[in-house]
Amino acid sequence: MRTTRFVLALSVAIALSSGGSMLAHHAFGGEFDANRPVLLRGAVTKVEWVNPHAWIHLTAKEVTIAGEKKTLSGEGEDWAVEGGTPNTLLRRGITRDTVKIGTEIVVDGYQTRDHTLTRANGRNITFTDGRKLFMGSSGTGAPKDGADPTEPPR
Amino acid sequence: MRTHQLTSALVLAVIASWSASIIGQGSAGQSVRPRAAASTTIARTPDGQPDLQGLYDVATLTPLERPAAFGNTLSLTDEQARKLEQAVADRKERLALPSDGNRAAPPVGGDGSTGAAGNVGGYNNFWIDNGTQYVTVDGQKRTSIIVDPANGRVPALLPEATKRNAARLLQTTSDEQESSDPGLERAANAYDDPERRPLGERCLLGFGSTSGPPALPVLYNNLHQIVQTRNTVMIINEMNHDVRVVRIGGQHLAPTVRKWMGDSIGRWEGDTLVIDTTNFTDKTRFRGSSENLHVVERISRIDDKTLLYRFTVEDPTTWATPWTGEYTWPVTDEQMFEYACHEANYALGNILRGARQRDRESAAKRSENR
Repeated sequence: MRTTRFVLALSVAIALSSGGSMLAHHAFGGEFDANRPVLLRGAVTKVEWVNPHAWIHLTAKEVTIAGEKKTLSGEGEDWAVEGGTPNTLLRRGITRDTVKIGTEIVVDGYQTRDHTLTRANGRNITFTDGRKLFMGSSGTGAPKDGADPTEPPR
Repeated sequence: MRTHQLTSALVLAVIASWSASIIGQGSAGQSVRPRAAASTTIARTPDGQPDLQGLYDVATLTPLERPAAFGNTLSLTDEQARKLEQAVADRKERLALPSDGNRAAPPVGGDGSTGAAGNVGGYNNFWIDNGTQYVTVDGQKRTSIIVDPANGRVPALLPEATKRNAARLLQTTSDEQESSDPGLERAANAYDDPERRPLGERCLLGFGSTSGPPALPVLYNNLHQIVQTRNTVMIINEMNHDVRVVRIGGQHLAPTVRKWMGDSIGRWEGDTLVIDTTNFTDKTRFRGSSENLHVVERISRIDDKTLLYRFTVEDPTTWATPWTGEYTWPVTDEQMFEYACHEANYALGNILRGARQRDRESAAKRSENR
């Protein structure tokens, strides 16, 4: 019991102290506007599988910016969404081709500080049913246990 | 045979405790006996030196600095380690669970996230690869990479260093290795031009001292490769593909020659590779250091799958005492991938464009008030 409490206290301490170690290539607060939250729905048009950050492009048919929702008929609006380093996913067998062009996705994040750009951070990128884009992306949502023949090879 | 193994284990334990007892006594230049495997059993290069070559993944849950809750406790009990590692695994599993497909946009004014996620939430956890376990040294899971001073924390900055760093903030030349993003509102001038942005953001160095020296684990891309010849050791770092070239038996360059990762020369002390690095630029600024930064790394082989990486940092114009850290470099069978940072660094452009928009808005406000 005492050990459990100790570990709990340590977990909290570690979580609190990890702020300093959460360094990254760039700080997102400098690039994106906290007053411009976006929700995007649309189909993937291009995946830039590049360092330091992958970019996933989509044609959004529904765009909500700072609470204002617009449904776009016709060609929609092209958005680019910033992710992390693709190398992490490559090591798990996930490649640029894992997400097929035309896949319908939902993205929430914040628009760039320059509002003339239709770019946002991919705070949460999912399929339309909510599954994370690069977790269980073979369509089953199941852990990668090799049981699914469509699973990308490791 | 079993007695022999037990005796060997005891001898190793005694050596280990002896080594631990001398931690803290050395300055950066002083030697510390390695706790490596028996010298006769390790792989060697044709010239007889230990073969340190290989590809290593140094990701670990052990932080550089020990959380204050651990005090002077260097190691976790097995149960503590198991529970903490499980807590991290559980968290990662939670973050991988599906979200609501019909969710709304995040809140106006930011989502309250801290660190690099900077109140806008960063990106999904599946991009992160910061390890699953605490570092094991001498059979014990470590609470921090820093082993000296005893509290496992970087010593306090000297008053002159605090003053120097404060002046840098006022000048808003942000040549740190990583971005801690002071924010447009707090340090607007730090966004005036690319030269004011952090080295990592500009793709000049990986952030978080991933290349070093000293080389430290970061959020992802923690692979290092060592390539070794008789007179040169090269360390390739996945992030930014920063490459360090260590001249064995060489002399340091003239003090006027300054380099991002310093000037590294090496020597063998027994079976330990000792790398001495000076000649840093005044822009590298490792945890508030100056161009007087001096790093001594000691790399030795523990077994055929593990290196021990130990480093001592000193800078008499930054800290009153040197400080030392150590952690293991486990070999990996993963691949190192390309990291062409400049080719796709749209973030820097986005950041500067955002600042220019703010400039326009401020100018418009000023003319309105006239």
